[in-house]
Amino acid sequence: MKPKSVRVLMAAAILLTGTSAADAHIIAARLGDFYMGASHPLTDLQDVVLWIATGVLAGTLGASKGRWLIPVFPLGLLAGLALAPVVGTVSTQLADATMMLAIGMLLAAATQVPTLALCAIAFAVAVLRGAANGAELGPETDRLLFAAGLACAGYGVVTLTMALTVVFKRTASDSVTSWRAIAIRALGGWIAAIGLMMASLVLAS
Amino acid sequence: MSLHVPRALTAAIASFALMQPALAHEQAGVAGGLVSGLLHPVTGIDHLIAMVAVGIWGAQLGAPAIWILPITFPLVMAVGGVLGVLHVPLPMPELMIAASAVILGVAVAARLRLPFAAAALIVAIFAIFHGHAHGAELPRAANALAYGVGFVTATGLLHLFGIAIGTLTRWPAGERVIQGLGAGIAGIGCYFLAQGLGAVA
Repeated sequence: MKPKSVRVLMAAAILLTGTSAADAHIIAARLGDFYMGASHPLTDLQDVVLWIATGVLAGTLGASKGRWLIPVFPLGLLAGLALAPVVGTVSTQLADATMMLAIGMLLAAATQVPTLALCAIAFAVAVLRGAANGAELGPETDRLLFAAGLACAGYGVVTLTMALTVVFKRTASDSVTSWRAIAIRALGGWIAAIGLMMASLVLAS
Repeated sequence: MSLHVPRALTAAIASFALMQPALAHEQAGVAGGLVSGLLHPVTGIDHLIAMVAVGIWGAQLGAPAIWILPITFPLVMAVGGVLGVLHVPLPMPELMIAASAVILGVAVAARLRLPFAAAALIVAIFAIFHGHAHGAELPRAANALAYGVGFVTATGLLHLFGIAIGTLTRWPAGERVIQGLGAGIAGIGCYFLAQGLGAVA
């Protein structure tokens, strides 16, 4: 019995580890562009920093304001993707850096952003990044699948970041000097500093 | 059983090791930018001790300084970085950086209690000089965002390190240790100051 159970475990382990290889085949065959749309932004530092900054900003403002981003952000990504052929391959680096600086400053100052402004910021970020991701589409890519993947990734990242921030901050009426609030504001200061450095480097080059 | 477990483990490890998918997302210079951004503030001793001294002094000053510092310092330093990248000349950058280590070290050693605005002004001036040096020495080929992320993270972590050391002030013996550290920082700063003036080869 015992050797057999070990053998079963071994087989299960091998089967489990083998599943990713099977995924790779699917990617190559049909649903590939969905996964490409979902994974492309997650491997790009600009997307990661900006999306997380947006999620954290929404989370600090509380769930009642932040939950508007759940539809707004993916829709913005889709709008940006639709705009991509119009915009072409214009570099969005300076705009990205400006958005990082703006969101970082709002976070560092612990500003109570109104819901409409929050939605506008998130929509702007989403359109920007959607267009940037769309610019790298090949002619043979299935646009519908890519768009679906991108929207799903955007939905997941923003919702999860927001939820984690809400949980981390615990209460909306937290005092501004509690260490949790300070940690989030310090993160905002760092993001703003990164945006500022990036903007200057883009301008200089 | 005893024989089978290692074999199963070996098999599991082997299958894990063999399944690494090729997920390389080619982005020129991201890794290089991150590494140089992270290492740059840590590799210059004069920068490193000044950053840690700022953290320690902030912790010594207590209430508003200890939490305003981590929020604003990277930002002020990035302003200096912008000046450096754009090659706006600042007077005597090397001397100012060495002097910052001396002054901050003395402030820590003497437990200098300045009003918050004065302390913030001193730290801000030095932060701009430090940022300027980092910006001016930036490798051109590196990815801009990655360099920024690495640079800000390294600076912020150095600060946190200083603040963590600074919490020793809660105990009387720790206070003495910190004053000793401050004196050491001022001493190293003096060496760099002398070097900058050309007294030491």
